[in-house]
Amino acid sequence: MRTIKLTLNGTSVSREIEDNRLLVEFLREDMKLTGTKESCGVGVCGACTVLLDGTPISACLALAVHADGRAVTTIEGIADGDRLHPLQESFLRHGGFQCGICTPGQILAAKALLDANPHPTRAEIQHWMMGNLCRCTGYYKIIESIAAAAGAE
Amino acid sequence: MVKAPDTLERADNSQGVRCRMVAASLSGKAVGQPVMRVDGIAKVTGRALYAGDVDLPDLLSGRCLRSPHPSARIVSINVGKAKALPGVRSVLTGADVPDTCYGRMCKDIPVLAKGVVRFVGEKVAAVAADTVEIAEAALELIDVEYAELPAVFSAEEAMRPTAPIIHPEAVEFVPGAAASIHGELSMYPPIPNVISRLRVRHGDAASALASAHKIFEHSFAVPSVHQGYIEPHTCLVAIGRDGLVDVWVANKGPHIARTHMAAAIGVQENRIRFNPVAIGGDFGGKGSLMDTLVCYYLARAAGRPVRMVMNSFEELTAGNPRHSASITLRTAVDPDARLLAIDARVIFNAGAYGGFVPVPTLHGGYGELAGAYRVPNCAIEVLRVYTNTVPCGHMRAPGAPQVTFAVESHIDMIAHALGLDPVEMRRRNAIAEGDLTPLGEKRRHLRCRETIDAGARAFGWDKPKSPGIGRGMSTYEHPPGNFGLSTVALTIGIDGRITLTLGSPDTGTGFHTIAAQLVAEHFAVSVDEVEIAQGDTLSSGFEAGASGQRLTTTIGQAIAAAADRMKQDLAALAAERLNCAPSDIGIGADGSFSAPGAMIDRRTLMGWAAERGKAPLTCQGENTPGRHSDRTSFVAHFAEVAVDRETGQVRLRRIVTAHDVGTVVNPITHQGQIEGGLIQAVGQAMSEQIVLKDGAVITAHLGDYKLPTAMDIAELETILLPGGGGTAPFSTTAIGEMSNVALPAAITNAVFDAVGVRLVELPISAEKVLEGLRAQASAA
Repeated sequence: MRTIKLTLNGTSVSREIEDNRLLVEFLREDMKLTGTKESCGVGVCGACTVLLDGTPISACLALAVHADGRAVTTIEGIADGDRLHPLQESFLRHGGFQCGICTPGQILAAKALLDANPHPTRAEIQHWMMGNLCRCTGYYKIIESIAAAAGAE
Repeated sequence: MVKAPDTLERADNSQGVRCRMVAASLSGKAVGQPVMRVDGIAKVTGRALYAGDVDLPDLLSGRCLRSPHPSARIVSINVGKAKALPGVRSVLTGADVPDTCYGRMCKDIPVLAKGVVRFVGEKVAAVAADTVEIAEAALELIDVEYAELPAVFSAEEAMRPTAPIIHPEAVEFVPGAAASIHGELSMYPPIPNVISRLRVRHGDAASALASAHKIFEHSFAVPSVHQGYIEPHTCLVAIGRDGLVDVWVANKGPHIARTHMAAAIGVQENRIRFNPVAIGGDFGGKGSLMDTLVCYYLARAAGRPVRMVMNSFEELTAGNPRHSASITLRTAVDPDARLLAIDARVIFNAGAYGGFVPVPTLHGGYGELAGAYRVPNCAIEVLRVYTNTVPCGHMRAPGAPQVTFAVESHIDMIAHALGLDPVEMRRRNAIAEGDLTPLGEKRRHLRCRETIDAGARAFGWDKPKSPGIGRGMSTYEHPPGNFGLSTVALTIGIDGRITLTLGSPDTGTGFHTIAAQLVAEHFAVSVDEVEIAQGDTLSSGFEAGASGQRLTTTIGQAIAAAADRMKQDLAALAAERLNCAPSDIGIGADGSFSAPGAMIDRRTLMGWAAERGKAPLTCQGENTPGRHSDRTSFVAHFAEVAVDRETGQVRLRRIVTAHDVGTVVNPITHQGQIEGGLIQAVGQAMSEQIVLKDGAVITAHLGDYKLPTAMDIAELETILLPGGGGTAPFSTTAIGEMSNVALPAAITNAVFDAVGVRLVELPISAEKVLEGLRAQASAA
């Protein structure tokens, strides 16, 4: 057991956790932030993507202790109060989701892209989003959503 | 609070609500509009509640021990050490659960293996514990002694007289007589390991083949693939103090699942409640109870609620993937390349249990076989066969992708053999108004040729191309589903708002939004005046669930019936309020009611009714289930590939997909179905395959099982041929299974066009193409 202190969605959090606690378990079970999804468990599908100091990572592979002293952003933390994040609004408008299970991960991965590269080309979006699987949309509307959000910013 | 969808819409159209009601009725603000998803805010903010997100006090985690053998007798199981582990709350083996087997039709799936195991991955024991880690540690402590038995993995081998019989007691699995809409069905016929044999005939194929100008015979193989939903099978069972069984499960048809569960566990249907949850993708794979029964027995034994989540290893090795198939087609043509007869033999490998599908055999294995063509004589035999492999289930147009890959490759091969352009071959044989389908059914509004032509034009079929570039096409026909009961309730509140209560989840397709649009259209209001409430199985009327492209048609009919009744009741209320006869009441496009010299809007009317105890007002509606609609739809796909002759690598460059459609209710979700289906088909064509070794699935995680990524998509152009004619309310047809079925053949046909290598087995791989190129070189 050890105590970790982190900034979670802009708020300071301190928790005592098992050393082997996965970040996805910490978020979903300890912090009840179930917007972060777990699917493949091996870092391939991207459903559990969260931002660690702004960098997208697979929360199913990261230990929670790894977040000690750092900032974690989940899907619950990107809207500005009542205002949706431009990417959330764009996914809504352009149909960038269907079943929604991969959507939190897609939006966070896309946020990391636009934070680093505010005006990506379509090819750059495709390449960046390769690590986030979606079985419903065939990716076209995800790419369109991200491109539109980039244009709007 | 985040913005509701209606406020976002208002940003585009800042008129007041009432003005928008007027606009809605005049310009079609509901049906036909790119309305945002009613579940959209919840899904983009992470607030949508999936089964895995449900939390309860004292919740335990359940895990299963699975068989390492494809066929074995269980000599002994010792669970003593597992039970003694601190934190373990219940441990079950086959001896602890009733003998009742479960199945959506064939009742052949035990809750836990009883005495024998029939595939690698079969559930042998189950543990519920305080945490997943403790449950998994307990599984390690269970000692099972097995005595291995002979196993059989291919359907063809399983049908040989010497094959081991996987289910000696098979005939008992189907209570009562199984029936098929088409043809002659035998359940468990006297062929080893055959679950069902269906023979469908129209005309006299044997005579036509005997006297034909030319006959072509080709065989094809299509492997099993996984549905690939990103949310694994998840269930949660809690048994209340009063005995009420609460279930949260990722299941596309909660009402039917409830009925099956009731029969399996011996609890009355009205003492089981399936609660609504969001579903993280289905594609046909989430129609069974999967782990729900073992979860129930664990919860009962532990006296606490239990959650079970299949990990992705279990999903890929022991889910219920698509049936693999081998298909042989013999086709007779006349000197003008017209199809005279098709004789088809289709063998589906069902794996170790047949109960994951709700029908004797896969409808797509015969129902739409060559449906795009005029074939006056047809003989189809479909066999579904047990083997010692992972049990198979339904996946998006069950049976059709396998059979259509064969038919659309076969037609292409015949065209090339006859020196005919593949588009011309299909045009010449395209089914047209007045023709019967190959099964002898009558359909109308047959726009096969128009669909092919529209696609070919957009694609530039006749334009020159560079070396190494290949072009191929494929086509497919499929009507919307008009089977199974749908019941809904419409409630109009005292504020005039309308709520639709229905029993179907939105599996991800956007159906709840479609339903809201249909309701809104009936009342000439905008969609934000309508609430969608998915009821639990106690509070909603019976719903057969998402299946076979049916929801927009069947729930659409139920909504129309409820809306008609609601309008009559509202007219009666308005007549009472305005002191006239109900027949004098006119309903305005803005939802108001008028009589000569008087008028009242819906909201004021409902306020008045509420004061008299007559609101809220609820009306039920149901559909009239028939067979398939007589209005079918066509799709034509065109694919362009580049093939590297050095490596055999195939790159998909471009897709044109042309669809014969009815009224498109929502252009965003409609296009979403097309795009998503196409890329699933790209996976089936280019990268996906459940690979077995000694009966065990070895593509056991998503690193080995290759779902398409954002890098694997191609340039896409979609052509819609709107022509109405749909039999459902507002002339809609269906789209959900139109896009994924036929594309793989268009791609393999394009590979042939590029380098002359014919692939008769999916998926396309560089190795197969290279092998074909080398064979060409050595033959030259």
